[in-house]
Amino acid sequence: MVRRVWKEDFRIIGYYTGLITIGVGLLMLVPMVTSLVFREWESAVDFGLSIVLTLLVGYVLALVSRTKNTPGLTHAMVIAAGSWLVAMVLSAVPYVLSGHALSLLDACFDTMSGYTTTGLFLLQDLDHISQGLNMWRHLLTYVGGQGIVVLALTFLIGSTGGAYKLMVGEGKDEKLVPNVRHIAVQIWRISLIYLLIGTGVLGILAIVGGMKPQLAFFHGAYIFMSAWSTGGFAPYSQNMQYYHSLPMETVSMVFMVLGSFNFALHYAVWTGNRREILHNVEIVSFTITVLTTFSLTCLALMQRGVYPNAVALFRRGFFQLLSAHTTTGQSNIYARTFVRDWGSLGMLALTIAMAIGASAASTGGGFKGMRMGIIFKGIVTDIRKLLSPERAIVVGHYHHIRDNTLTDGTVKSAAVIVVLYVLIYVVGAVVGMAYGYPMADTFFESVSAGSNTGLSCGVTQATMPTLLKIVYIVEMWMGRLEFLSVFTLFGFIAASFRGLKRQKVAG
Amino acid sequence: MKGRVAACVAVTMLLLALVPSQTLAEEPPLVTTTQLVEQSATWDGKTVSFKGEVLEDVLARADGTWLNLSDGNNTAMGIFVPKTVSMPTISWAEDYRTIGDTVLVTGVFHRACVEHEGETDIHALSVVVVRQGSTKENPIHRDRVVWLVVLALALAVVMWFYYRKPGENLSPHEDP
Repeated sequence: MVRRVWKEDFRIIGYYTGLITIGVGLLMLVPMVTSLVFREWESAVDFGLSIVLTLLVGYVLALVSRTKNTPGLTHAMVIAAGSWLVAMVLSAVPYVLSGHALSLLDACFDTMSGYTTTGLFLLQDLDHISQGLNMWRHLLTYVGGQGIVVLALTFLIGSTGGAYKLMVGEGKDEKLVPNVRHIAVQIWRISLIYLLIGTGVLGILAIVGGMKPQLAFFHGAYIFMSAWSTGGFAPYSQNMQYYHSLPMETVSMVFMVLGSFNFALHYAVWTGNRREILHNVEIVSFTITVLTTFSLTCLALMQRGVYPNAVALFRRGFFQLLSAHTTTGQSNIYARTFVRDWGSLGMLALTIAMAIGASAASTGGGFKGMRMGIIFKGIVTDIRKLLSPERAIVVGHYHHIRDNTLTDGTVKSAAVIVVLYVLIYVVGAVVGMAYGYPMADTFFESVSAGSNTGLSCGVTQATMPTLLKIVYIVEMWMGRLEFLSVFTLFGFIAASFRGLKRQKVAG
Repeated sequence: MKGRVAACVAVTMLLLALVPSQTLAEEPPLVTTTQLVEQSATWDGKTVSFKGEVLEDVLARADGTWLNLSDGNNTAMGIFVPKTVSMPTISWAEDYRTIGDTVLVTGVFHRACVEHEGETDIHALSVVVVRQGSTKENPIHRDRVVWLVVLALALAVVMWFYYRKPGENLSPHEDP
């Protein structure tokens, strides 16, 4: 039975959504300052206008629904899913004002892609956008990777009673330390330290590669944010091809892999538990699936003679495979090369890698290594049970931070989420096929959107059908939040309408 | 006499017909990024002409220089200019406030370059600046400034209400 929706429910949801929206408005100060530094006055005005509008929406929401009550699990789920939609629309304002987005829908597509760390884009004439807008695109990815709610928790909300539930609603369900605000602070501490290291290293490599020093560190920051957050954006339309630099691609690969790891694993290693890397179920799962899908990629590329030698095959093939598997989406080949040169088998290998994706509670998407490990161990345990004497008690285990017992409930929850991912991948592909796109292309693109990867084989363009854009936006949103909070939002809306009907009948 | 004139006319016509076609055959075809990527196998190893705007960074390396030339909406190609090829001065490279020089490159297209570990690129044989770049106008929209002021005032009022007496108008603790 679904519970009734009360006025206070709306207050709690409105108040916390308002606070998160204020956080988004304050975040826009960073691109505005960037525009001012580069003397892009018109872009700075656009950001100024966007900031004021976003803050106004946030403060009005917070003012009209101010409450002392803390969110319960239902509220937290609705707040997490709803605030991502509000943030998507308001963050799209600078895109629209820049004139580089053909419509508000296209702008929303790009901001959802940024927040969900997907990396698909519909922005026009990307090679001529302002530094401010470039900073905004990459900052969205960086913040989206850690989580908008995590950001608001760190700076605005604090350790309220429902704070942990808010984080769970956003897909960050690892309790690193007992205090929720401290968890958020830990996540940001880890990310900011890596940001400094990544920007420095990539900036120096960019200077060595011939870039102007004043721009090199900005590019270093952009590429780091894109790799660490498994986002996949880059300042130019050629993506990583723009730099013609093996060292930059190599460093980027390192950050992609680090970003795809569970924050709990990072925290364990940072606090001295280095052996965790060797035993963690997600690392084992990731290693096995990377090796398997890379073998398949090599087979496809060698069969078709795509690259002239092993070095070329490794530089292009392995980079693309890792980019797909970590759900980053950075690319050192052209989008249409997948279709024209890599062929069906090569695209299938990348599609499988994208579908599996990164680790749980990381910046990445997809099924997640944890679920793959749990389902695999569940199958092995079931086989062991069948082969053991009837009286024998066979219990499965998996290692994540500590040894955990494998229960039927754990396996079932993992399987349910995987099935839901498969469902959105298929729905996206079917809609694409209905518009006449080839099957391999639509599956590739749909899985890329649903797993928040961002690699494209050319389907994603401003000219693609409106419905397909909406389907991809929903796929990105659901995939990033891992369904539950989105379903709760739908349920909450349905319950609200039912309540209204009941009131009318009573009246 | 008539026969001579007719022969002269015929020879002239033949020359006129042959000379331009020969010249055309020697000129490498002007191609776009889309053509090169979509028909990469067809163009692989062929000498082509490519025209585009120089993007922001001209990347000088030990063995040559990399240029990225934009030839349309979100399409660009990497051009490698070896040290042996003379490189013209690039006065204007693209940025937000600048339109970069337009450059015409003649070179060999590689679908997957052996020298650059599988990169899709053009190795230049000649590089010519065909149009100088210029500055670009990005005017401030006055109506947006007006909106900015109006919304800022509205925000100030809302913030004043919000921070005036914190907690005064909080909703009671109802258990939903």
